Amino acid sequence: MRDFIYEDGWGAFVVLLFFHIPFLIFFCRIVYKKAFVNTGPSGTAPEKYPKIEIMWISTVAVLFILVNVLSVVYMPPVSTAALTKSGTPFQEVDITAKSWYYDMSSREVEVGVPVKFSAKSGDTVHGFSVYHPDGRIVFTMMLMPGMESPTTLVHTFEEPGEYKVRCLEYCGIVHHAMQDLLVVR
Amino acid sequence: MSTAAKMIQGTPVLGKMFKVNGNDDLASINAWPSLIIMTSFVWLAIALLLGVSMPIIQYFGLNIFLFEFYTALTLHGAAMTFPFAFSLMVGVSLHRAGACMGKKADGPLVVLYYIFMNIGGLLFTLSVLAGFKITYTVMFPLPVVGAQMGVWPMWSVVLGFTGIALILVSMIILYPIQILQMIFWGKKHDELELSPRTLNDPGMLGMLIAVLVLLVSGLPLIVTASSVLLYLYGIFPAAWIGWAVTPVVFQFVFYIFAHNLMESMAIMIVSAVYGTLPLYLADGTRKLYSDKLANAALWILLITSVTSFFHHFYTMFPALPSTFSFHGNVMSWGTGIGGAFTIFTILATIWKHGLRPEPGVMMILAGFVIYCLDGVTAMIIGNVAMSYHLHGTLWVGGHAMTVLLAMSLMWMGVLYHHYPVLTNRNPDADKCRQSYRMYFIGGVGMMYTFMAGGAMGIPRRISNWVESGYMGIGVFILIFGLILSYGISMFFVTLSKSREITT
Ligand SMILES: [Cu+2]
Repeated sequence: MRDFIYEDGWGAFVVLLFFHIPFLIFFCRIVYKKAFVNTGPSGTAPEKYPKIEIMWISTVAVLFILVNVLSVVYMPPVSTAALTKSGTPFQEVDITAKSWYYDMSSREVEVGVPVKFSAKSGDTVHGFSVYHPDGRIVFTMMLMPGMESPTTLVHTFEEPGEYKVRCLEYCGIVHHAMQDLLVVR
Repeated sequence: MSTAAKMIQGTPVLGKMFKVNGNDDLASINAWPSLIIMTSFVWLAIALLLGVSMPIIQYFGLNIFLFEFYTALTLHGAAMTFPFAFSLMVGVSLHRAGACMGKKADGPLVVLYYIFMNIGGLLFTLSVLAGFKITYTVMFPLPVVGAQMGVWPMWSVVLGFTGIALILVSMIILYPIQILQMIFWGKKHDELELSPRTLNDPGMLGMLIAVLVLLVSGLPLIVTASSVLLYLYGIFPAAWIGWAVTPVVFQFVFYIFAHNLMESMAIMIVSAVYGTLPLYLADGTRKLYSDKLANAALWILLITSVTSFFHHFYTMFPALPSTFSFHGNVMSWGTGIGGAFTIFTILATIWKHGLRPEPGVMMILAGFVIYCLDGVTAMIIGNVAMSYHLHGTLWVGGHAMTVLLAMSLMWMGVLYHHYPVLTNRNPDADKCRQSYRMYFIGGVGMMYTFMAGGAMGIPRRISNWVESGYMGIGVFILIFGLILSYGISMFFVTLSKSREITT
């Protein structure tokens, strides 16, 4: 479940609905009731409001903290730093992005072995995004030109296949065609 | 009669909707705001046409004049954000500030704002037509790289940057100083003070915070962008501006402003909601549930939003160190706490006192609902882990669009509320109801369509939807775009069917 939430775009969509649906029901009900059903003074005792206030704010706070704390291990900077330190052997792919193509040190990687992607841009801002064969985004990186250190991310592919590479940062009139292929064997 | 009133009178169609009495006492808080609002709606009409045309351009692979994808994309985004949404806010808030503090809203700064924003918009439009297709986020150093690669002529870069500079000066300097002047220094005229308010009032406090955010977060960009511009004009030698054209420097100052521009516009509209909602309470209380809580929400929004801009750069680790990513993550979700305070204040106010469901206030609440829904989409991409699957997709474009749609709908509601004083005419209530209902359906539909597109991994700003198999989403964008356009045109009808107030 957590993998789905933090590693899949649709997981994010589910989180979105998780917050949206109660909000919509809650908000619309109150407005409808107090604007169309009975606009008279509500019976809630004045001393009750601060209690509801604290309940509401703490519910929101707990939800917020939960979503974020649970996400920490899924943050690529965290896993990348951990893997780089652990001494686990990994494959390396160096990338230079230019308008409108990629120079890649390799277009083939092994399944199950961590891959360290190090990417730079040679002209303007580009992206380096890897798509799973089923169409979802595995990860995306932003490449800013003129940086000394490359944008770095370690990822371990679990499934073999042809992974599409796309630029997700608008880089001019051929941006859409800035694509490549990464083969996982 | 003031120049502004004459200009409105001379404008076909829209002139009728925004006509003001240029000779009465209130002309100094009505004429220029009304002209600014009217002109913003001209830009809206253009933005709308371009927006709806984008799925059609994709489907038919069009490449004619404005109707080429990246041209439409750049102009749509720029027109929607600056001369429309921002200017609508400026127009309504100037009138509001004038009437709340009894200050004139027609000084030289207002006139200059109007000229700079609209001439800036025109120059930028011309540069885009000349090939300068950089999207409304500039994507520096793309402007220069494109010229070096021969994609667009260097003169279009100079023209485009001149337009951008005028727009930036209007937003970062002219408008904030005008509001500060009205709050602190300007001469008070009792006949203009229609509904007196002080800075203890959340409605006024938010306005002050918002313009300070614009001023402070924008100044670094003014310095950077004007250095680049002076170099382009040949006034500064290259050696002087090396720091400014360093991509990371320009990008950071740009996003510190761009991000806080949205936050400041949000604070501004939330404060306008705080100011307007109490006037429609059923029991006639005319007070929020708690001014303290409302003000606390504004302060939380201010403090958390200023440094949450790091979320624009999460995916460039380690160029953006993880410390800043985590900080951005915490702050982005912190804005949600401010949002929760606001939601509570608004609901508790309505619950306690009941609501008169007049079209203006319902329009504001419809916009507020979209604004809250959008806030969640923003927090999700504000989470580092989720950002690595969504950054650069339609999700992000959808968030930017939705927050603008939400704020604009709320401003349209506030405009509906002020319209009788502004023009001495009552707008058409039934048409307004139709307008916000369709706008709401269109806006929320667009939002979910874009978010679904993001979840599917559709890159934003690509012109090959058909080839990439993404046209299905394009169809939904078109459908909801048309519903939204219908809602907006109903708002035009709301104003054009307004009736003179006879006393
Ligand atoms: Cu690119």
